[in-house]
Amino acid sequence: MEHALAALSELFEPMRLLALFTGMIAGMLFGMMPGLGGVAAVSIMLPFIFLFDAMGGLALLLGAIAVVYTSDTITSVMLGAPGSPASAPTAIEGHAMAKRGEASTALSVGFLSSMLGGLVGAVTLALAIPIAGPIVLALGTPELLMFALVGLYFASSMVGKDLAVGILAGCFGLLLGTIGPAPAAANFRFTFGQAYLLDGLSLTIVALGLFAIAEVIGMLAGGGGISSGRQVVSNWSTGFAVFWKHKWLALRGAIIGTFGGFVPAVGANASTWVAYGDAMRSAKDKSRFGKGEPRGIAAAEGANNATVISDLVPTLLFSVPGGPAAAIFLGALFSFGFYPGPRMVSEQPTLLYLIVWSVALASVVGAAICFAITPLMARLTRIRFALIAAPLLLIMVAGAYQSTQTLGDIAVLLVLGIVGWFMKHADWPRAPVLVGFVLAAPMEQYFWLSNQIHGWSWLVRPGVLIIAGLIVVPMLWKAVMARRRKLADAAAAIGLEPLLSAEDDGPRGTTTSRLMLAVLAVAVFAYAAFETSGFRANARLLPMLAIIPGLALSLFVLVREVRSFLTQRDAFIFDAWNEYPVAAMLLLYGIGIALVGLNLATLAFLLFVLVRFAGMRWITALIYTGVLIVGINGMFVLMRLTPPGGYFTSVNIF
Amino acid sequence: MEAPTKIYAASTAAAALVAGILVAPSPASADFSGQTIEIIVPFAPGGATDVAARFLEKYLERHLAGNPNVEVVNREGGGSILGANWFEANARPDGQRVLFTTSSTANPYVLGQPEVEYDLAAYRVAYGLPFGSVTYVSSATGIATVEDFANAEGLIYGGIGAAASDLPTLLSFELFDVDVQSALGFTGRGPIRLSFERGETNVDFQFTPVYLTQVADTVEAGNAVALMSGGYMAADGNMTDRDPAVPDLPSVYEAYVDLHGEAPSGVEWDAYNAMAALTLGFGLSAYLHADTPEEIIQLYADAVERINADPEFLEESQQVVGGYPLSSPIEAEGPLRAALQPSDEVREYLINLLSEKYDVDF
Repeated sequence: MEHALAALSELFEPMRLLALFTGMIAGMLFGMMPGLGGVAAVSIMLPFIFLFDAMGGLALLLGAIAVVYTSDTITSVMLGAPGSPASAPTAIEGHAMAKRGEASTALSVGFLSSMLGGLVGAVTLALAIPIAGPIVLALGTPELLMFALVGLYFASSMVGKDLAVGILAGCFGLLLGTIGPAPAAANFRFTFGQAYLLDGLSLTIVALGLFAIAEVIGMLAGGGGISSGRQVVSNWSTGFAVFWKHKWLALRGAIIGTFGGFVPAVGANASTWVAYGDAMRSAKDKSRFGKGEPRGIAAAEGANNATVISDLVPTLLFSVPGGPAAAIFLGALFSFGFYPGPRMVSEQPTLLYLIVWSVALASVVGAAICFAITPLMARLTRIRFALIAAPLLLIMVAGAYQSTQTLGDIAVLLVLGIVGWFMKHADWPRAPVLVGFVLAAPMEQYFWLSNQIHGWSWLVRPGVLIIAGLIVVPMLWKAVMARRRKLADAAAAIGLEPLLSAEDDGPRGTTTSRLMLAVLAVAVFAYAAFETSGFRANARLLPMLAIIPGLALSLFVLVREVRSFLTQRDAFIFDAWNEYPVAAMLLLYGIGIALVGLNLATLAFLLFVLVRFAGMRWITALIYTGVLIVGINGMFVLMRLTPPGGYFTSVNIF
Repeated sequence: MEAPTKIYAASTAAAALVAGILVAPSPASADFSGQTIEIIVPFAPGGATDVAARFLEKYLERHLAGNPNVEVVNREGGGSILGANWFEANARPDGQRVLFTTSSTANPYVLGQPEVEYDLAAYRVAYGLPFGSVTYVSSATGIATVEDFANAEGLIYGGIGAAASDLPTLLSFELFDVDVQSALGFTGRGPIRLSFERGETNVDFQFTPVYLTQVADTVEAGNAVALMSGGYMAADGNMTDRDPAVPDLPSVYEAYVDLHGEAPSGVEWDAYNAMAALTLGFGLSAYLHADTPEEIIQLYADAVERINADPEFLEESQQVVGGYPLSSPIEAEGPLRAALQPSDEVREYLINLLSEKYDVDF
């Protein structure tokens, strides 16, 4: 206790508070920019930590880490583009609420849940040190594998109404996750001889591509503002009431998130989806999910903030970073000569409590600042779509590009962007893709490690059986309940409409995007099957787990769509035709970046789009484009990156 | 901050079309005053290489002639191959862009992985920082001596990948002819250490800074037994010396001599020696463009000498990087190039071992 108070007075040194708040401002800005999250914020702050003393320098980083998952709510709700990959559920539910004119409710639920998650994380951090050690050590490789499976099971609740398409999407995500090195055999999979793919795809880019690019295309093609009506975001009381209603759910999300943080390599992204899936499973009325359900926001935002903070538990206890931002924080600790470990915990309790206070303070103040600035941000949503979409796209390109600083980043972003855009219009759920992608690597890695270390005997470890119970018990419970209900329904002679059945969707025609996606899926899975046949046995298992159901389901969906095309010609819709030119322009933009560099390509692309689609005058468009290009170059300089140069251009002209 | 200028191979014709300024490579100068030196780290921020690069930043600024601005730039991806490929395409012979990397970059080069576009053995060397490693076993194995170890059964080793930084340790198992089952596929040495503490694996190695801060206590408490260090490079470039960071432990070489009464020889030793040199002796190496002139190499050599004499460096390096002195380009370049180009016999042995025992095939 005296250490806690001592640490608090240490933190209240003016320079350290300044460091903490500077970090927070950076964290909030980066949280709001899609594609740039905690990792970007922390790595940009890294050179500046030496301006302060050790405690101040660490506070600078902690301020940034603690608020990223609070402020990303703003972008997710207002624009529907996830501010960071772990807030994709918020983008789904929150943006749907915003479109209904309930942005302020969505935002306040998000902020308050984030704050709660942050506080739970901080309390955990303070309490965990004596108790977390045994927990982390009790979780062997097989238990970690089981957690990944639980995550997958929870995630299965989000496949939506069309079961075939939902599972197909999940398989696609798993397949994306197998790109790169196989953990158990020295096979590189689906790399097409590109060094870029040797590490696999970046989660940030996959999340941005699937969710955000589709929104940008829609924004550029459509007119008007984000919400059809005027967004009122000053009335917070409804939001507080809604949050209060779901406070236990947010707390549960935070607890799930905390455990996600304990386990190294299960990041905020996985635990957010698990919490979201858990909220969905426990809800009586699942149909509201995906259409603006505040419960989803409460669970997800509670979880992601708690995870990023409890990521510090393994970091401080074992010097094993719980996540990417924590890895950079660990590097900073090393640079200051602190070596986290059991010894540090007992020898430097003040430092430990300083960390706890920093994240706690940043969580609360961060949420307060978010409330304060949101009315300003909300005005943005009344501006014409195209005007916001332009800088948004540039920020996303920069965010993707900082991943490896090669054109591969931009290519993957745009290609997955087109896929996500088709999926949006075809009404294919995108969440399972992300979940499959996130869980593929830990599932495969832990499965093979478990087998290499324990043989098959890991299946009967007590920890494994207990965690397996988390899947089996609710499943049995559900089955029993369903049976009872069926009996009751039969007695009442009411035929219960079979849930989750595609055929019962009623007659409907197909659309271009559905057809194209089905063709694409068949092609992708067939090619993957061909390629996989050449892999070593140990490298083949996980891809096959995705390909076998994926190929079967994609053929089924293709047949279904073709049949409905043939039988219901008049119901066929050439959907989203007004967005095709924008999507094509976007691909051209990518090629343009490769040929003439970012700045020239951006100039041409934005001028064309702003004049053609936003109806801007040439001169205004020119000025606006110029300002944006200068801005993005400033950002590149700040991030100490060089903007992509083209094949033909030697010099960036701005 | 350096103006973002890039020069591309195919640029000359097109450059005329574009409004812009082509900056020619600045001529070699007597010092680096007013210049910015970019240290390319092909790994993510926060990792061991990044921490070491940032640690050296201020000493290079202080001791390189002309006190240039030194900046660490992370270009991660492709297991460090992307950053190194980028360096190959963008380095200039002016000493202002440095590739600072580990055996993760060197091993794929030595083994001829097809994605490699860089010619590491042609590069000049600016400076280097050795790594040390310690192999230890769980006391539950009952192993107390190297002899116990050589005869042990039921050992499980956790690693990242056979062709990664695990390679010297795996080769040392071959050298001692000890039967170790390996579980490869971990994401880092940290998770491997946790797995060891959980008792899932029972033989492990860690690099010396981590060993000293995280494992030494466990050894002290009697829960683990430290067996040997990977060794330290002798003046002749062989990994035969005792590691000064862990002076109580024999090196692999010494342990072998103790056990067998004779120095190790044959392809097993040559392979261990070459890979340990790349992974440990030249653990962190800073490379320059192949055509970097001698004057510039000399600037780095002078800086290395001054840094090694800087009392603050001596004190801080103890904590951050294991307390080893920087290696000078003058002495390091020859042995490093030799290690990067092992004999055909060693290469063949490595490729065979990797493909037959560890299923690695490039």
